[in-house]
Order: sequence, then C-alpha cells, then structure tokens
Amino acid sequence: MSGDYGHDDHGHHASPWGPHDWSHGAPHNSFAPLIMSAGFALFLYGFANVFVGGEVADLGALSGVMLGLIIVTIGLLVWWRQDMTFDGVYEPKATGAPFRNIDIRKVSMWIFLMSEMMVFTSLFSTYIRYRLGIPNCNDVFLSGEWIEGTSVVCFEPAAHLIASSWFHLAPGAVNTFALIISSFTVVLALKTAKMSDKKYSDKYEVEMENVQAHRSRKVAVFLGATLFLATLFLTLKMIEWFVGFPTPGPLTNLNHGHSEIASLYTEGYRINADTYQHYAYDTSYHDGKDIPPDSALYSMMQAGTHPGGVMMADIRVGASTFFVTTGTHGVHVLAGMIGLAYMTLKGLRGGWGPSNAVTIEYFGLYWHFVDLVWVLVFPFFYLF
Amino acid sequence: MMQQKSFIRTLVLLTVLGLALSMAPKADSLPTGINGFSEKGCTCHGAVPDPGVTPSIEGLPANFNASTTYTLTISFTGGPSGTSAAPENLGGFNLAVDSGTLANIGEDVQIWGSNEAGHTELGNDQTSWNVDWTSPASGSATFTLATNSVNGDGGASPDDKWNMMSMTVQGPSAGAAAEELQSADPFVVLITLIIVSGILLASVILYTFYRVSPDGFNWDSFSPWIVEWLTSTDHKKVGTLYFIAGFFFLGVGGVMALLIRIQLAVPGNDFLTQDQYNSFFTMHGTTMIFLAAMPLINGFANWLIPLQIGAHDLALPRINAMSFWLQPFAALLIFTGVFSGQAADVGWTGYAPYIVSETAHTGTTLWAAGQIMLVASSTLTGINFLATICGMRAPGMGWMQMPLFTWSIFIANLMLFLSIPAWGVGLIQVYLDRTIGTAFYHVASGGDPLLWSHLFWYFGHPEVYVVILPAFGVISEVLATSARRSVFGYRSMVYAMAGIGIVAFIVYGHHMFTSGMSPTLRFVTMLTTMLVAVPTGIKIFNWLKTMHRGSLVYRTHTLWALGFLVTFTLGGISGMFFPSLAMDTHLHETYFVVAHFHYVFVGGTVFGVFCGIYYWFPKMSGRMMDEKLGLLHFLTGFISFNGIFWPMHKLGVLGMARRHHTWFITTDDFANIPAEMASWNLFITVSAFLFFFSNFIMVANMIKTVVAGEKAPADPWGGWSFEWMCSSPPPTPSFDPHNPPVLRDANEHIASEPTRFGQWFESLMMPEDDEKEVSH
Amino acid sequence: MAHYTIFGKDPYWMNFWGLMILTAIEVAAVGVELGDTITMSILVGIAIPKFIMIAAIFMHLYGDADSKILTMTALFPAFFIIVMVFFIGLTSPGAATELPAWCRPSYWT
Repeated sequence: MSGDYGHDDHGHHASPWGPHDWSHGAPHNSFAPLIMSAGFALFLYGFANVFVGGEVADLGALSGVMLGLIIVTIGLLVWWRQDMTFDGVYEPKATGAPFRNIDIRKVSMWIFLMSEMMVFTSLFSTYIRYRLGIPNCNDVFLSGEWIEGTSVVCFEPAAHLIASSWFHLAPGAVNTFALIISSFTVVLALKTAKMSDKKYSDKYEVEMENVQAHRSRKVAVFLGATLFLATLFLTLKMIEWFVGFPTPGPLTNLNHGHSEIASLYTEGYRINADTYQHYAYDTSYHDGKDIPPDSALYSMMQAGTHPGGVMMADIRVGASTFFVTTGTHGVHVLAGMIGLAYMTLKGLRGGWGPSNAVTIEYFGLYWHFVDLVWVLVFPFFYLF
Repeated sequence: MMQQKSFIRTLVLLTVLGLALSMAPKADSLPTGINGFSEKGCTCHGAVPDPGVTPSIEGLPANFNASTTYTLTISFTGGPSGTSAAPENLGGFNLAVDSGTLANIGEDVQIWGSNEAGHTELGNDQTSWNVDWTSPASGSATFTLATNSVNGDGGASPDDKWNMMSMTVQGPSAGAAAEELQSADPFVVLITLIIVSGILLASVILYTFYRVSPDGFNWDSFSPWIVEWLTSTDHKKVGTLYFIAGFFFLGVGGVMALLIRIQLAVPGNDFLTQDQYNSFFTMHGTTMIFLAAMPLINGFANWLIPLQIGAHDLALPRINAMSFWLQPFAALLIFTGVFSGQAADVGWTGYAPYIVSETAHTGTTLWAAGQIMLVASSTLTGINFLATICGMRAPGMGWMQMPLFTWSIFIANLMLFLSIPAWGVGLIQVYLDRTIGTAFYHVASGGDPLLWSHLFWYFGHPEVYVVILPAFGVISEVLATSARRSVFGYRSMVYAMAGIGIVAFIVYGHHMFTSGMSPTLRFVTMLTTMLVAVPTGIKIFNWLKTMHRGSLVYRTHTLWALGFLVTFTLGGISGMFFPSLAMDTHLHETYFVVAHFHYVFVGGTVFGVFCGIYYWFPKMSGRMMDEKLGLLHFLTGFISFNGIFWPMHKLGVLGMARRHHTWFITTDDFANIPAEMASWNLFITVSAFLFFFSNFIMVANMIKTVVAGEKAPADPWGGWSFEWMCSSPPPTPSFDPHNPPVLRDANEHIASEPTRFGQWFESLMMPEDDEKEVSH
Repeated sequence: MAHYTIFGKDPYWMNFWGLMILTAIEVAAVGVELGDTITMSILVGIAIPKFIMIAAIFMHLYGDADSKILTMTALFPAFFIIVMVFFIGLTSPGAATELPAWCRPSYWT
C-alpha cells in the first residue's frame, strides 16, 4: 500500500491564505493557526504588562494588547476565508461504535462541550468552596463580631445587592430572557436553513430559482437577531457592572427616592473592595429597624455591649468569584458573537442551505450550552 | 592509512608544542639568585636549602588593594631550631619584594632600601617576625623569603638548616583590567545554551533542507518548503514538528538539570543563588513535563493514531495544527522570565499563596499565561484525538481490535481533557490575581491556598498518568512485536488502562497529605491510591507473560522496553510508600520523592519515548537506525540514569530535602546528614552529565539515519498493526479516504452473541444502515 | 431536527414559552420574602427542568436517532463533575478531630 492517491493532492496547491477547495476533502494548509497563536501570546503578554498586582503599571503596553487582538482577528479572518466556501460537500461521518453515522463535526462539538462542562464545574466548585467556607457578611453583621472602623473578612454574594431591588435585578432578568430568545432564534435559523427548496418555495411563495438566496437571507435575519440579542446581553452586563442607569421619574419613589440605579462598581462591589461599606450593614439605617430582634447584634446593642455603627468588610473573594464566573460566561457569549457575525455574513452572501445547515446546528449546540450555563449562573449568582 | 598516521603525529606534535608554550611563562618566573641572600643580614648557616624548613608569610591577601599597608608575619617551622635548651639564636630571615615598600615595626627587624628586610641582632632569638608592607598602586608583588633555622649554639654549624620560598600576589592593575573574575550568571549560561541550541537547530533544519534538494539551495525553493512546514495540517508533518519541539525542550530542560546538579554537587555551593535555584527547578519541571514530554507524546500520537486505525488524517486537521502552534508561543511566554532574569520561581506546582504574592518573580505572571495557552492546546488535542479514535477507525476495527498504543492515547486524552479545565481555571484565577488584582488566593481576604492545590492536583495527578500511559502503549506494541506473539491478556490490558484512567481522578489527595486538607479526604485518597497498584501490576505481569515463552528478538527498542520494565517497576515500588499517610509524612519533600517521580517520568515516559523512537523511526523516516549506536546509547543511558536516581532514594531516606538550594554535612540531631552524602551527590552529578551526553548518541544516530541510513522496508520488525502496511515513510494522505483499509479478524467466523450490555449499547447508537439517514 | 410535536405544536415554540414562563416564576420567587430555604428549593426546582428542557429540545437530546448516544456522551462527565464538586467544593481544611469517630483511635478525644 504505497504511493499517492492522485486525485487528492496532486495538482491541487491551495494557498495557505485563500479559500479551500472543499471538494478535495479536508483542509490542506493554513496560516491561521500560526497567526492566531502568535496573537494570543501577544495579547496575554501585553495584558500582563498593563496590569500588575491590581494596578495599571504601564498603559503603553495596551498597544500590545490591541496588536495581539488585531493579530488574532487576522488569523480568524484567514480561517474563515478558508471556510466561506464550505458547502457541505465534505462531511465525514463517524464509522464505528459508539458514534456510528454521526457527523464527525457533531461528535467533536459534543466532546468539546464535555470539557466546557468541566470548566464551569471548576468555577462552581470554587464558588461553593468559598461560599460555604467563608462566613457570610450578613451573618457576620448580625453576629455582632465586628467593630466599626476595622475591616472583617466575609463573603458577600452579589445577589445580596442585586436581588435587593427590582431595579438592580432588571439587567440580569432581561438578560435571562434575551438568552432564551436568542436560543430560540438560532433554532429558527436552523429550521429555515433545513427547509427543502420545494417546501420553502411553497411556504413563502418564492420562485424556485430564488429560493437559495431568499432562504439564506432569512437565515441571516434570524442569526442577526441572535447576534443582536447577544450584544444586548453584553451591553446590559456592562451597564450592570460599571455604568448603572437612571430610573425614570415616576419610578423614583419605588427606588427609595434615588434617581439612579448604581452599578455594582459604584456600589463598591469591586474585586479590590477591602473596606466595603453598605447601608445594609449600618445599624443606624432605618433607625436600626432592619436588625432582627432575635439576632446577637440586637441583644448586644440592647445590652450596650456593642456600640453599633457601620460594618466594614473585605469582600474581595466574593466579588472576584462573582466577576470571574459571570465574566467567563460573558467571554463565551462574546466568542459566540464572533461566530455569529461570521455566520450572518455568510448568510447575507447566500451561503446557507439544506446541504450545510448542520453547521448552524453545531454552532447552536454551543450557543444552547452557553444558555444552559446561564440557567445555573443566574439563580446562584444573581438570585441567591 | 599513512595519511592518517602522519595526521596523528602532527596532532601529537602540536599538542606537545602547545603544552610547552603554555608552560613557558611559568618557567620564566621561577625564582633565581639564591646567592644574593648571603650578602646581607642573614649570613646563612648551612650550605644547601633544606626541605625540612618551611618558611611562610601570613597576612597577605590573595589580591591586594592599591596602596594599603599590610602587616606580614614571617615565620618558619622545622629544622634544628629550638632543640637547644637556651631560647636564643633561633633563626633569621631575609625578605625581598619587587614592588611596594617594607617598613619595620619593632627593633627585631631592619630594612634595606625599602624593598628588603632582615632580622636584627635582637631578632635572632625568634622564629617569627612582623613587618609592614605598603602595596603599590597596581601590578603584582613577588615576595622572596629565606629563613634560617639555627640550632642555638651561637655559631654556624652544619646542623643549621635554611630554606626559601617565593609567592606572588596580584593587585589592581592600571584601570580595571585585573579585576577579580566574576562567576558567570547561571541565567546567562542557560540563555547562551538555549540560543546556541536554537542556532544548532536552525542549522540542522537548513542542513536537512540542503540534503533534501542540494540543487535547490536558494530562497525560491526554501520559502515554499518552510511555508509548507509552517502551515501544514498533515498529521505526519505536525507530528514531526512536535518531535522537533519536544527534543529541543528536552535538551533545554536537561541543561537546566545539569546546572541544578552542578549546584548540588558539593555541600554549601553557591553556583546558583537561592533565588536562581528556585527559578531553575521551576523551569526544569515545567519544561520537562509540558514542553518536552507532552509534545513528544503528541508527536507519536500524531504520527501513529491515523496510521494505526486506518484513517487518512486526524478528524480536525486545522485544529491539530492550532494545538501545535500554541505550544512554541506558550514556550516563549514561559521563558520570557528567563530572559529577563526573573523566571518563575514557584515550582511546577505553583503553590498558592506564594504564586500570587509580590515576592514571587515577575516572570510568574507570564509563566501562568503560557500555561493557559498550553491548556488550550491540550484541550484542542484532546477533542481531536477523541473524535478521531471514536469516529474514524477502519471498517472492522472495533474497540477491542484497536492497537494498545491507540488505546493508551485514547485514555490519556480522555483523562487530560476532562481534568485540564480545572487547572486552566486555576491558572486564569492566578493570572487575574497577578494582573487585575482579583483575590482568589489572597489569604488576607479569605482566599484559600488549598483551593489552588485542589484545582492543580485534580489535573496534576491525571496528568502524570497522561504522560505514562502512552509509554505503556509503546511498550505493549514493542514487547509484543519483539516477542513475536500477540500481547498477553489484551482485554485485561485495556481494562487496566481504563481503570487507571478512572482511579486517576480520585487519588489526587495523596499529593496534599501534609497540606492540612480535610482528614476524611486524606483517608479516602490513601485507600484509592493503594488501588492504583492493582491495574499497574496487571500490566507489568502481562508484559512479563508476553515475553514468557515468546521468542525475544533483541533490537534496540527491545532493550529499551526491558529497561523500562526494570526502572518503571522500581519507580512503582517506591511509589507504594507514599499512599500510606504515616510514611508519606516522613518522606514528604525529600529526595525519595524526587527519585520516585524521576524513576517513573524518566525511567517510564522518556524510556518509552526512546523505545518508540527506535521502533517507529524507520517507519517515519523510511530508513533503518544504526543498531550499534543504539546499543551504546542504551548501555550508557540506562546505567547513568540509574546512577543519577538510585542514590537519591538513600539521600531522601537520610533526610536530604528537595527544593533546597544547597545542603550541608551536619551532625545536628534533627538534620543529620552524614559525610558520605557528599560522595553520593558528586556521583549523582557526574552521572547526570553522562546521562545528558549519552542522549546525544541517539540524536547523532537519528541524523546519521536520515542522511545515510539504509532504506527501511514497510515492516522491518514484523508488526501487525495498520501502520506497518503503509510504505515507509507513509504517503499523504496516509490512507485513501475513499477506500479505507478493512480489518479482518481471524476469529470473525466465530460470531458470538452480543452480551446484554452490548445489546443495550447497540440500542443507543444510530442504525447501522447508512441509507436510513436520520432526520434532517 | 424534531420529528415530534408537543400538544400538537412545534416543540421549539412550546419549549421557548415554557422557558420564558419558568424564568418569570424564578424572578418572581426572589422578589417575595419566603426565607432562604424555600427560595433555594424553588430556584433549584426550576433550574433543573429548565436545564432539561434546553438540553432535550434545543440541543436535540430527545427525539433524534442519535439522541440516545449523545445523551450518554453528555452524561459521561457526570462522574468527574461529582468528584470535583465533592472533593473541591465541599471539603474544607480541618483538623484530625473532624474525622468520623470510627476511624479515630480510641484514645483520641
């Protein structure tokens, strides 16, 4: 068994930059891996130079970060340029047990999701360990084992802030709905792309020869809607984290008279918050009516053994856990958006049809998984 | 022949000439003018210098400072002095110096012309005198001293003896030319060696290119050739790239090991400072595991998995190229610290909270960043190989017909990619702690250092099996082929590997016995760790049984496989000391641990890699390797390897602590390190050098093979798996994708009823018939 | 792609509304003061069906020919997830006194 299989390699020298000829089988050469790896390394290098130990050390290195991202983007564009021509001609199927007759790409995607499960399990294990291992700030406050002016270490779940008012919860809640809707639009895109020419032409009353372009544009609309919802998700997240938003006039009364909903950042819920103060931990707030009478703090203050005041807390661990876990989820959304941008573009160029619709399905698997993670993140980080 | 002889003669002549030339200046500086001494001061008693008298000058520094006054003490011992009862007329001296100024302190010494001194009448009754010497501004000073030992009888007698000496001290010369030689910064040594290796590698690449097409040695031919290598997604080319990267870093890690061994060769050494030592053992561990062992294993996996299962390439070729290219850039990040002299100093385990502290070297941040890229690389590799092995086996190749090497890679990748996210998340936490200032491991804010240990070892323990399992696979293939029979207990081999894979996840606590971890978890992992010996033992006995009544063919790869059996079993036995909580508490952090994991890493993985190289190199290069050089490599390598690590068991039990930058001989009650340790440590260092250089025999062998080896047949050893059915080297794509090979089982006519489990599993799968296309 | 219906309707459509309603209940449950335990049980009680609905219907783990084997694939990491949550999430450093009584020596108090 020697020699070459002439039809596959000879006379076919695809450019490592240009589109692949997929009818020849698997992709041949590509510069994308090399470029993307270099960009990734440059990004990490620049980032480590910009921030050192929680402080901005060298803002000039931001150019390295930017350059790294640009190089990654170039690599990504090379990768996609080669994929743009993919029309479903080359779609190998698994041959043996256990994945017999399933597309290799689908198998790979599921295997990838297995490792993603482990990523989020690690983050949740971190969360559980800290949530259970470090005393909760509210418990510490009520125990009275603190003195004004000295910071105590405790775990402050973001939910304590977020779930305290409907306004705080609004961005997270809207995001939850946005993700569910976006999952649905991806499925609609898949359903549309899979519709056979005949069926599509009947349903939408389109001429047979226009079906491919029309259908692909419709797919692009659904994918674009998904992209919009994902953008909405990240925007609201930024508002919730850093920006805050004004409350409309009539609702100000409901918001304790404040005209603005503070972001987590302005509330002081930050990764470097080692002297966090909040009205919930102020014995004089509401004249102390919020302190439950069965708590140790209440008895101590009655007996005069505790002077009361504002508890100061070191909540860095709790804040880090919250921002990094939801941030990791956010990065997954961002990665999905990059994929969606490519897929929308491909749809606008008339690239989607029943023959390659499975690509949307396999992207959808990832996208639903991100939704699935949010189903767990939302109750545990935003609500409880 | 004649030419050779005359060449040797010339060489000998030149050597002698060179030696003579190098000795000439010394000959010139030999002391002369003994006669001068009898003229002044000392009328020397005695005729010829007598070796029984030993003059000495004390108080002279090794290197004098400019224009400084030193008080010298001149004395002598030996001779007849003092034999008389009366303490008078004991001796005399004469001191001459060629530069600087002499001055007398007391009445017992007199000065002539500022550069010569002698005793006075008063100084006649002494055997030692003091004199001041003011050094010159630069240059050197040569002292010539004659002393006279007198028997005290008041006159010259034949008993009186005298002798002389001369010594030269260096001072600062004009300018700073004669400064004391600075010892080299070990980092500079390392960097130099890395750069030199890089240049050597580039030269080898150029040379290879030249050999491939001697006529086309120009840029127009070179650029498509190098672009092909940079962009290739062919599993064989990517595999070769993995090998090149792996061997390069094996060498770099080896250099670091040598520098560490130089430091540890003698007690109290300061070749490496404590800081540098920390960096060196960190970088050594990281390089060896992540940049040497893993790429070498991936090299084999890339080359062989598609060939062994009859696939034309891996499932995701571009992803495969991606997982390779992440590695060199990750290596760059990891080594950034080395080049800035601030390499990570946290150990390959990077224990918190030190890893996030400000005192840890700045290189630690990029060390973590590089590791994050390696995590990404390993995840992509895992997906790729799992998809390939699950989905691209040739028709007829069920799970239980797969070669054992494929099985080992399957289980290794399954473990790797399920466990590595934990470490990846830990690394991201560390990276963020060190950059934007999150507080996962800041103890003051309630961060839990043990969380890092947990996340690390949740990955770290499966990782060590990830590194050893492919070696198991290689050994299984090699022993079966060499014994000219099928491997004994194929199914039990598979189940043993799968068992190791599962158990790997629940034993990791044994790395943390002394960390203050939950006692319940300590107890649980103690039991499970002991369990690991069972599947491993099954494998060892299966290998023995494979050879038993087989007919062993002794080729180089067979020898390495046998060597592996010995060393790996020894490593396994020493490993059985650690699961026991009490024993572990004693042996923790000693060289016993170092000995154990090097016996399994080097004696297991690296020997497995060597074994695989000798076994599959003919397939990869299409040329046979030199068996004589191979034998030499095995003998030197095997012996020197054991020379390094066997004595470490003893050192560990005696209490020599690992991760310490030096050690001392002491009789202290609590750190009793006996004097014999010095000899053992020196022995280990010498062995380490031998082992390092013995491996160049293999490199030479590989180069020689590629350049001028004998052509290899498709199946030189009589192996049975698919890769031996391809030509050597295999074509691209490795098999025709439209006409894959079919595996025929000799027993396929014995159609057995599927088991109940088999039936259930069958019901889960897609229908066999391709026509009944599902859904869509 | 789905070859079945839920109450005669398109499964994706039904699933979508089901998820929207469950989420609304979830958010509402937090707004009402019910005490930690009850809130927690409601949240977990709703997260599980939501999880299953997304996996089964949107991710095609129900109703396709390859659903069964892919469900097994998706469940494969379960063991490793449980190990991690137990070993990392639910242990804390402790003294030997925290050992269960049956594996402590008798003289230990």
